[in-house]
Amino acid sequence: MNRPYNGIMDDPQMIADATAVVLAGGKSSRMGQPKALLPFDGEPLIAHIVGRLGHVFAETIVVAAPDQELPPLPVALVRDQVAYQGPVSGIYHGLTAATKEVCFVTSCDAPFLNLALISHLVSQIADSDVVVPFWQERFQPLHAVYRRSVAPLLHDQLERDDLRPISLYPKVRTREIYEDKVRRFDPEGLSFLNMNTPEDYQEAVRRWHNKKNRELEIAPADGISVSVELFGVARLLAKTKSVSLSLPQDATLANVFSALAERLPILLGRIINSNGLISGYTCNINGLDFVRTPSAKVNSGDKIFILSADAGG
Amino acid sequence: MYGFHGRLLHVDLSSGQSSWSDIEQSRLREFLGGIGLGTSLLYDYAPPGVDPFSPANPLIFASAPLVGTGLTTTAKFAVVTKSPLTGFIADSLSSSYFALELKRIGLDALIITGRAAAMGYIFIQNQNVEIHPAEHLRGKSPVDTESVIRSELNSPLARVAAIGKAGENKVRFATISNEGRHAGRGGVGAVMGSKNLKAIALCGDHAIAVADLAGVDNIAGALRERSLSSLTDKYRKIGTVANLAVFNRLGTLPTRNFQRSTFDNADALSGETLTENNFSRRHGCAACTIQCERLFKALDGGEQRLEYETLFALGPLCGIDDPQSVLQAAQLCDVYGMDTISTGGTLAWAMECGEKGLWPEAQNLGLAFAQPEGILAAIAAIAERKGVGGLLAEGSRRAAIEIGGESMHWAMHVKGLEFPGYEPRSLKTMALGLAVSPRGACHNRSGAYEADFSGDVDRLRTDSKRGSLVAASEDFAAALDSLIICKFLRKCFTDFYREGADLLSKVTGWDYSSAELKRAAERIHNLKKLFNMREGWRCEDDWLPERVLSETLPTGIAQGVGLSADELREMIQQYYRARGWDEQGNIREEKLRELGLPADGSSTFQT
Repeated sequence: MNRPYNGIMDDPQMIADATAVVLAGGKSSRMGQPKALLPFDGEPLIAHIVGRLGHVFAETIVVAAPDQELPPLPVALVRDQVAYQGPVSGIYHGLTAATKEVCFVTSCDAPFLNLALISHLVSQIADSDVVVPFWQERFQPLHAVYRRSVAPLLHDQLERDDLRPISLYPKVRTREIYEDKVRRFDPEGLSFLNMNTPEDYQEAVRRWHNKKNRELEIAPADGISVSVELFGVARLLAKTKSVSLSLPQDATLANVFSALAERLPILLGRIINSNGLISGYTCNINGLDFVRTPSAKVNSGDKIFILSADAGG
Repeated sequence: MYGFHGRLLHVDLSSGQSSWSDIEQSRLREFLGGIGLGTSLLYDYAPPGVDPFSPANPLIFASAPLVGTGLTTTAKFAVVTKSPLTGFIADSLSSSYFALELKRIGLDALIITGRAAAMGYIFIQNQNVEIHPAEHLRGKSPVDTESVIRSELNSPLARVAAIGKAGENKVRFATISNEGRHAGRGGVGAVMGSKNLKAIALCGDHAIAVADLAGVDNIAGALRERSLSSLTDKYRKIGTVANLAVFNRLGTLPTRNFQRSTFDNADALSGETLTENNFSRRHGCAACTIQCERLFKALDGGEQRLEYETLFALGPLCGIDDPQSVLQAAQLCDVYGMDTISTGGTLAWAMECGEKGLWPEAQNLGLAFAQPEGILAAIAAIAERKGVGGLLAEGSRRAAIEIGGESMHWAMHVKGLEFPGYEPRSLKTMALGLAVSPRGACHNRSGAYEADFSGDVDRLRTDSKRGSLVAASEDFAAALDSLIICKFLRKCFTDFYREGADLLSKVTGWDYSSAELKRAAERIHNLKKLFNMREGWRCEDDWLPERVLSETLPTGIAQGVGLSADELREMIQQYYRARGWDEQGNIREEKLRELGLPADGSSTFQT
């Protein structure tokens, strides 16, 4: 049924003004079959990743190897000129093709994209050329944000046959996002989990199923469960009244917002951003306390209402 | 003169004469425009103790300095008079093109006194004032009246404010309507009807000059941008109907005449459901970027404007969960020109009287909770003052006095004005705001509920902070209502008094400070109270109905929560102290002197 236009989705600025670049042109030699086409949650892995990114980015570019087979995707497709030249080449071609100034770059074998974390990384680019997470003593260049303006430097690296993305970082304004900050959005660092072998793939599929099952559980053994009730614009956007969320012990509202963004990406940028609720929204815990502070503690069984901060009428 | 015209038009309907005069610059500076200017003129022009339906009761239309400046949400005007519902001040706001035209006439205030020998309407075209016969318009809806007048004046751009049948029949909660909007509360339409005045038509071409055009444009641009940010998401994307579902969940949705604060089938009536199923279009006032107005599809193929207060009053308050019935009832109220809040409040009272066997006539009329047919019949009967409709047209307070017995306990009003859709027991700051408001049970002349929804206080308990919170909220509203800026823009200011004073300075050329604006707001609020004191206000008038003080809430999150008389008394004393008034709530002489208000009953200005 055609519904009348009701103005709910009339804020295009809520989508990140940035491009997502997915590098898909790897050899997949240890996997034994093309990673991009591995079945994941009922669809090819590349489609799963592109679908997730579509919630946040207005534009997505897939960088593939020459002649690489891909399913139909709602993306701009770019082919490496030389096959298997590594990530620097992929990033370079992605940045060159992007129409936006800022690009989030990831690979096609990292299925656990955390949209709240990605949104936070993009929001940190203001005075930098690169924003890169530093997780467990390592940079994560294939889960990082790059300005298009660094493309010539990457080209120079390719000329010099320097194929390590991290060589770029000392030459530009690089902002590192440390582990404590990453954990606010992604406590287990699943965002950086990629798959190189069939065993990695099996493990990722298992984790994905567990994650989905956990979302349906009432009270997980190793964490807490809360329910989030949506009102007003949030309800109309999400097309649901409430969701249950599984959270770690000692969870705070920041965890709630992050998990909510994961579950209902449509709220990202419109109701929730990387700092919590956007201006104009508030939340109430159990109908009693109105709180916005992300550090506020939540307890198992809490009912968290997301509503307008304005009660006028 | 910048921002104002400095002119006042007085039309005496008894003699048919009109006269123009200057308004003192000091009055404009001290009371601004809108509600402030209207209140100061009411104080001076209303004879003390005047009967609201007497020809001597002035009906005042006041413009404001920001009107016509291009600032978003400022196309508004005030209607101020002595209320036939409360016997105290009635200060209502309405908006849109009529507001702009009022200013283009070249005046800051229009004062109407007297009573026409036969039904008529006033046509003002710049300096020219004419009184036209309007017997042929009797019984017409405000919208039809607007259309006929434009046509017979051959002036398609004329802007018209009119009353419907309810105003003609002096229903004490009749509205004055323009372009589908209403000066809604307190019965200003009944006062207009008592003057045999069906409508006012305006056509002007006076320019509105500001002192610092570039400065005003800069602020206008910034405010426009902020008005389109997420700060106003609720009003822009769903409208005030969004309140219903969340109020229900928080246990603050008055239901079945305040017997409960939750509604079993709130989902069916929620703003979210209406938006999904019945949305027709979005609309707004002239010069407004927020466009909060929502029109919903009615079964008859038409569309009906609906906002939260109407939805609550004609829905849960009367036990109605069918959106089409609410839309139909709202449509009838618009056609007759009746305040939907007081209509719903009075009907809900009657339903409870019928339910408890105190007033069998209610059931004869089919008035019972959850029975939409009875509501529709009763609305028509009220507007026509037919049968028991004549009693209900008096509002819940007078009707309860007539019926007697315990019915006063559940007549949900303050000073005679029926409650808006905020349950006082689960919103304690609002409870105080409702009790002490000069207008009666009102959610507009203070936004005390904001504290309850802010997290700064525990909304379910009383404490010592509420008095000063309510006073501050009233002053804030007085400033907004006198400049005039719509309250839906209020969150878009970071330091309202500083920004408001800056804006006023740029519009008027005055050197106006934030302290002066704050003081003007306090002065305006005190003058409302001073008017009420002169008209017989007593300490007992600042109080809440017995139901609120003797029954706890039976359902929802706030189950078991009540409000005791002692708690309310203590909050009221805090409020009087915060205001600098005495323990009986009278304004002390030193406070009057401090604010430059008359301490001896004389007029605010010797003219």
